[in-house]
Amino acid sequence: MSSTPLDWKEMQAEREKVLQEWPTGKDVHLEEAIAYHRGLPAEKSFPLAMRKAQAGKLLLLQPRAGVPLIDEHIKLLKYLETEGGADVLPTTIDAYTRQNRYAEAARGIELSLAERHALLNGFPAVNHGVEGCRKVVESVGRPLQVRHGTPDARLLAEITLAAGFTSFEGGGISYNIPYAKDVPLEKSIRNWQYVDRLVGFYEEQGVAINREPFGPLTGTLVPPCIGNAIGIIEGLLALEQGVKSLTLGYGQGGNLVQDLAAMHALRAQAAEYFHEAGFADFHLTLVFHQWMGGFPEDEAKAFSVIALGAAVAALAKAEKIIVKTPYEAMGIPTKEANAQGLRATRQIVTMLQDQAITTDHEAMRRESGLIRSEVKCLLDAVYRAGEGDWARGVVRAFADGLLDVPFAPSIYNRGKVLPMRDNEGFIRVFRKGALPFSAEIQEYHRARLEERARAERRPVSFQMVTDDIYAISKGRLIGRPR
Amino acid sequence: MTAGPPYTIVLGVIGADCHSVGNKILDAFFTDAGFRVVNLGVMVSRDEFIDAAIESDARAILVSSLYGHGEIDCAGLRERCIERGLDSVLLYAGGNLVVGKRPFAEIEAKFKAMGFDRVFPPSVDLHAAAALLRADIEEAVHART
Repeated sequence: MSSTPLDWKEMQAEREKVLQEWPTGKDVHLEEAIAYHRGLPAEKSFPLAMRKAQAGKLLLLQPRAGVPLIDEHIKLLKYLETEGGADVLPTTIDAYTRQNRYAEAARGIELSLAERHALLNGFPAVNHGVEGCRKVVESVGRPLQVRHGTPDARLLAEITLAAGFTSFEGGGISYNIPYAKDVPLEKSIRNWQYVDRLVGFYEEQGVAINREPFGPLTGTLVPPCIGNAIGIIEGLLALEQGVKSLTLGYGQGGNLVQDLAAMHALRAQAAEYFHEAGFADFHLTLVFHQWMGGFPEDEAKAFSVIALGAAVAALAKAEKIIVKTPYEAMGIPTKEANAQGLRATRQIVTMLQDQAITTDHEAMRRESGLIRSEVKCLLDAVYRAGEGDWARGVVRAFADGLLDVPFAPSIYNRGKVLPMRDNEGFIRVFRKGALPFSAEIQEYHRARLEERARAERRPVSFQMVTDDIYAISKGRLIGRPR
Repeated sequence: MTAGPPYTIVLGVIGADCHSVGNKILDAFFTDAGFRVVNLGVMVSRDEFIDAAIESDARAILVSSLYGHGEIDCAGLRERCIERGLDSVLLYAGGNLVVGKRPFAEIEAKFKAMGFDRVFPPSVDLHAAAALLRADIEEAVHART
């Protein structure tokens, strides 16, 4: 495994094997799929929607949604399109499919049919196959994206792209470290190079497909530099395989200045790294995720969390926002709750769409500069670890803790980094593990956390981390003692 | 925190679920509360829970599920425990156990019928849960002696 473009011809033997992993794979025929895409109306193209959003300074609204049965799934998406006013649509994949456990997904479909309610947490696209997925594509009027959390998404990509989906979320790091327990990074990165190369093949045939690395990672107090650095690396790995339409993601942290600064830093720094690596022919956009951590149970309070995220995404000039629902604390929402999240978001986004606030003031400049220096520390270390090869560098960096995602389930993640909020709610690093920060950066984080400790009259401790994790669900940003 | 013998408990997130944050918090909390915690992490199968409980002579198995498949994943766990000779182990379940928003009483009844001794929503107060766990274990220990 290394950071080089996969040879399309050599990949064919592997493709054949992948397509045999489940019986529906045999219905994937690329020539026919390309022709099918060419016949789709322009309003179903995700890359085009992202271009129009950027050109027209619009923020596209996208929900998460997926249920096990095709007809129910279509009903759900149509409802979110008409009643929710979603600009672009998702198909969220169930957790068995994400782990390539298609037999269990099949059982989930049967049980859902028999019991007349959903027993899977998403749409099992591999089991439904090209034909089933095309029913969905043909029933809705908006571009469709596959949203999941799959370390090996080769078959899922083959089927959904052949079926007319025009965007695919994920990446070899962001869909492994937060989503799997024991998948080696060599494997997931290589399997995502396959997905990116497949997307590259569609692009070569003139069919544009959008790719979106998953920015928020574990969604739990992830310091912006960690998400941004991983997003930039996954962007580089995707561009290398021929991806052209790229959307990088950022998960809301909760402090306004930090969120705006992080989005600003991500946009500028990603473009710099991509250009420096010799890529010119790409279209970069940003997606903002409303708060990914624990939500308040009270729906009124949940709407407030949604609204704050909507405001930040609008002010940060993101091209797309992923919308939460007032049922977030309880799990998977009803279609009505999902549409409510969209409408609440729309109200704020529309009210803010003609407004701008400057990032050119001291606090914003300082934070944005800090994030960029941190990202540079991380990326320099990954580049050195891989002796110039990003893919190899990532594997070694995670092994050595130079990249380390807080609270991730993977055994290939060191898990030594503990984040915490400072006295203004900025996410800082309490225990840095082996993150290669400069002495100056470390000192800044330490000083900011000491400031909070003094204000709360308690020492900086693991208890503060726990308090911060549950703070928003309990009605506050910072987990202060009561 | 709570005084008493360091009873062994097995902790894990069942099925294909990879929600790891709460699992790490529970590990830290119950360790702090004086339990010996065997934490299997995320994506744990029914038999892995049972293997660990047998190997560690655990008093209780704490099953978490956040992703909605809990209903499928937890079915048959009690029967499998009995089949494998774990007659008196306590079974606790907690999290977002089913798909969708359903009344907690309904979910609790469903999981109790499946053989779980206690069922908790995500909002449970951990101190209260630890106190219940200790009391339940002590009751089970006394019932046996």
